[in-house]
Amino acid sequence: MRSHDELLAIADGILERASAQGEAEVTVTESATALTRFANGGIHQNVADRTQRLRLRLVRDDRSGVGEMQVVGDDATQTLVDTAEAIRSHSPHGEPVHPIRPDGGADTDTGYSDVTEAVTPEERADTVAMLCAAAEAAGQKAFGTYETAVTSVAMVSSLGLRRAARHSVAELIAVCRGDDGSAYGARQAADASTIQAPALATEVTDRCARNQGATSVDPGTYEVVLSPYAAAEMLEYLGLIGLGGLSVLEHRSFMRFGERLMSETVTITDDVRRPELAPLPFDGEGSTTKPVTIIDRGVCAGVVHDSVTAARTGVTTTGHSFPQPNAEGPLPRYLCLQSGEGDPDSMIASCVRGLLVTRFWYVRPVHPLQTIITGMTRDGTFLIQHGRVVRPVRDLRFTQSIIGALADVRSIGSERIASRGYFGAALAPWLHLGHFTFSS
Amino acid sequence: MRDTAARLLDAAEAVGAEYADCRVVERTTQSVTVKNGRVNNVTQFEDAGSGVRVIVDGAWGFAGTQRTDAVGLEAAARLAVRIARASARTAVDRVLLAPAAAVTAKYTTPVRIDPFSVSLDRKIELLLAADTAMDVPGVTTRQGSLGGVRHHQLFASSEGSRIEQTIFETGGGLDATATAEGEVQSRSFPNSFGRQQLTGGWEIIEEMDLAGNGPRIAEEAIALLSADLCPEGRMTLILDATQAALQVHESCGHPTELDRVLGFEAAYAGTSFLMPDMLGSFRYGSEAVTISADATSPRGLGTFGYDDEGVAAQRTLLIDQGLFTGYLTSRETAARFDQSSGGTVRAESWNRIPLIRMTNINLEPGTSSLEEMIATTEHGVYLETNRSWSIDDRRLNFQFGTQAGWEICDGRRTKLIRNPLYSGNTPRFWNSCDAVAGSSEWHMYGVINCGKGQPGQVMHVGHGAAPCRFRDVAVRPA
Repeated sequence: MRSHDELLAIADGILERASAQGEAEVTVTESATALTRFANGGIHQNVADRTQRLRLRLVRDDRSGVGEMQVVGDDATQTLVDTAEAIRSHSPHGEPVHPIRPDGGADTDTGYSDVTEAVTPEERADTVAMLCAAAEAAGQKAFGTYETAVTSVAMVSSLGLRRAARHSVAELIAVCRGDDGSAYGARQAADASTIQAPALATEVTDRCARNQGATSVDPGTYEVVLSPYAAAEMLEYLGLIGLGGLSVLEHRSFMRFGERLMSETVTITDDVRRPELAPLPFDGEGSTTKPVTIIDRGVCAGVVHDSVTAARTGVTTTGHSFPQPNAEGPLPRYLCLQSGEGDPDSMIASCVRGLLVTRFWYVRPVHPLQTIITGMTRDGTFLIQHGRVVRPVRDLRFTQSIIGALADVRSIGSERIASRGYFGAALAPWLHLGHFTFSS
Repeated sequence: MRDTAARLLDAAEAVGAEYADCRVVERTTQSVTVKNGRVNNVTQFEDAGSGVRVIVDGAWGFAGTQRTDAVGLEAAARLAVRIARASARTAVDRVLLAPAAAVTAKYTTPVRIDPFSVSLDRKIELLLAADTAMDVPGVTTRQGSLGGVRHHQLFASSEGSRIEQTIFETGGGLDATATAEGEVQSRSFPNSFGRQQLTGGWEIIEEMDLAGNGPRIAEEAIALLSADLCPEGRMTLILDATQAALQVHESCGHPTELDRVLGFEAAYAGTSFLMPDMLGSFRYGSEAVTISADATSPRGLGTFGYDDEGVAAQRTLLIDQGLFTGYLTSRETAARFDQSSGGTVRAESWNRIPLIRMTNINLEPGTSSLEEMIATTEHGVYLETNRSWSIDDRRLNFQFGTQAGWEICDGRRTKLIRNPLYSGNTPRFWNSCDAVAGSSEWHMYGVINCGKGQPGQVMHVGHGAAPCRFRDVAVRPA
C-alpha cells in the first residue's frame, strides 16, 4: 500500500489541476482486500484485489459536480477533472453543499495494524485449516471466511483541508454444521494477531454440538438472551432507522430528545476511539469524527450529523458524513452498547422461559418510526426453561420493536465483542431482555 | 483489452495455471438525483480493471488489478496462482469444469438511444418536472433518480474463448413520502428501491411517464397516513407484478442457485430447501406456476450474450407447471451432476470472482387478469410495491410488507389500507397460487440490489412477472 504522503501527492496533483475550476475537494482511496472462503471443510474461493479510487467534487457559481474514477493511468487525473467540470457546468444553479474548512482534528491510525496488512494467502489457509480440522474432530464441517483488508484515505481541498489516515480489518467467520444443525461465531479486529482463532473454533464447535436435532417451539413472546452478534445486529438497525440527523429532520426518526425510551441501564454511544472497531478519524467530507452519546441511561440524547444536517439543526457536525452531496444523510459508524455486569450463564440462570439466540438473519425494518424490525434466528437457537438451556429449537421469525425490547432489559453482559456492520462496526455485549416477539 | 487479456493468460499459464480466464472491464455509471425541487447529486463513475481466475492443483485462485502495464498484469497473474496453491492445501474436492465451447463472439445490448448521449440538462429537466408533479401539500420528501450504465468487457480463457460484450442499462424512479404523528408513508413509481432499471437505452425512460405518475403517488402517500390498518387473518392475497417479481426473486431465484445447495454460501447468504433428489418430483407450486431462468429475455437486467464463464445465454425451466425441474448452475457446479452449465455466472466487477447469479427469473404469464382475479375474490387484499422483505437462510419462511394495499370485498377493490404484511412458507404459498395474469399485464422488472458472496457483490437481475393470486395466506398489519 502507498504511504500517506504518496496518496496526498496524488490528491495534490488533482487539486492543482482542478483549483482553477472553483472550490475543489479531492479524495483518494486505496484499498487492498484478501479473502479466503471455505465450505464443507475446505477452501473453495480465494481472492485478492487492490483498488485505487479518485473522487473530485467541484463547486462554483452555485453549481456542483462530482467525478469518480477507479482507473489508473496517465490520463486519469485530467479525465477526472474534465468529468467533474462537465457535470458541474451542466448542473442548474442552486444551493450546493460546499467543502468544509479544516477543523484542526488530528489524524491517527488508531484502527490500523501492519500485522493485518502483512497476512499472506498461506497464513490465511493455515488458519482455515485449523478451523476445518477442529470441526472435523468434532464430527462437523466448517464453513466461513477469513478476510484481511486495508484502506487508506487522503483528502485535500482548495479550502486547506489536508488529511490522511488508514485502517485495517481482519475478520474470521466460522459456521460449523453437523448432521442436523449448525452454529455461528465471528471475530473482527484491526490487528489480525489479536484474533484468537482456536478460541473461536472451540466456541463454534461446542455450540454446533449442542444445536443438533432442533425441534419446533410455538411462536409467541419470550424472554431472550441475545449473543453479542445478535445484539450488534439490533444496534446496527437502530442506527439505520433513526440515529442520523437527516432522519430526524425528515420526521422519520423515533428519537424524542430528553425523553426516556429505554431501560436506565441502556447507554448507546458512537465511539470512534475504540480501536477494535477499526475506525477512521474523519468522515467523507473530511470532518473529524467525534464520540457521540446517543442514548444516555435510557434517555434520547443525540444523533450523528454531517455538515448539512448540522447546519439545518443549528449544531456542529459530528463527523459522520458520507461523501457529499448525498441523499442518505449521516449515519452512525461505531455504535457501542455500554457493558453491564452480567454474563451469559447468570442470564440463562435467571431466565424462566426464554430463547437463547446466537444470530439474527435478514433483518429488515417493518415500521421504522416504531423501530419494528423483522428477521430470522439462525445457527444456534435454544430454549431456556427454569434457568437451564433444555434443547435446541428450530429457527423462528421475530417481529419486534427495538426500543420496546430495550425498554425491558434484565441484564447486560460485562464483555463485548466487535462485529462488522454495514458502514463500520458495532461493539455489543450479551443481553437479557424481558420480552421479544416471535411471529412465526 | 486483447493485449491485457493475453498478458494475464500467458502469465498465469507460465507459472502453472491448469486453467485460466480473465475479464478486462471498462464500466461507466452515471447517476442523477433530485430531492425536494433541487438537484441533489450528479455523479459519473469510471471504473476499469482486470480480474484473473485460475485453477492450480485443482483449486481456485483469483486476483484483481487496475494496472495495465506488463509488470502489474504479470504480478496479478502470479498472485492468483499463489492464492490457488494456498487454496489447494485445504481444498476438499478438485475443481472440475463442465465442458464449454471455445467461443469468439461479440454482443451489444439493443439500444435505440444511448443513455450517455442524452444531455444532463434533459435528465435534470425531466426529474425536476417529476418533482414538481409530486409537490402536493402534505408530501414531506420528494425524490427522483435516473441512472445509466455502460459495461464493456472482454472475456478470454485459456481454452480459447474471446468474447466482447457491451451491456447498457437505463433506469429511473420516483418516491413521495408523507409524514404525520406516528406514521411515515411512501409511494414509489415504477418500483421501490430507488428506480426501475432495465437493459436498454433512454427509450426506457421515455416510456415511463415519470411526471405523469407523480401526482398519483403523492396523493396515495398522503391518503395512506389516514387509511385503515390492513385487516388481520388468513385470506386471499393478490400481488401486483412488482411485488410478485420480488416474491419470485426471494423464494424461487435464490433457492435454485446450485452453489447454495452445495453449501458454498452456508456461512453467509445461506443454503436452500431445494435438494437435488427433489428434481423432477417436488411440487414447488400449483400448475399455474411456471418459472424460467431466461438470459435472453428482452430488456432484463440478467440479459447478455454470454455469462462470465463464456457460456451462451440460455433459457432453463426452474419450475414447470408447479414441478421443480432445474437449478441455476455454473461450469463447476454443473460438472458435479454431469451436466452442462446453465450460463448463470456473473461478477459485479473486475475485482470480484464470478458467482452463480440470477439472470432473469421470470414467472411465466398465465391466462387470468387482475380485473378477473379481483372480480372472483370474495374477501382479501390486493397489495402493491414492496416496502420490506425478509426470508430465512433456506428460503422457506418469508415475510413481506408493501407500500399500499386495498381491501377486496365481494369482487370489488374497496378501501385503501396501510402497513400490510403477509407471510408464509415458500412451497405452501406457491401451491396456493390459483391465477397468474396474462401477457398483456406481464412486465420486466429490475432488481439492482441483489447481494451475495464474500466479499459482497451487488448484482443487477431481472424478473418478468404479472399480477397473481394466492389463497389462504396469513395477512396482518405491521
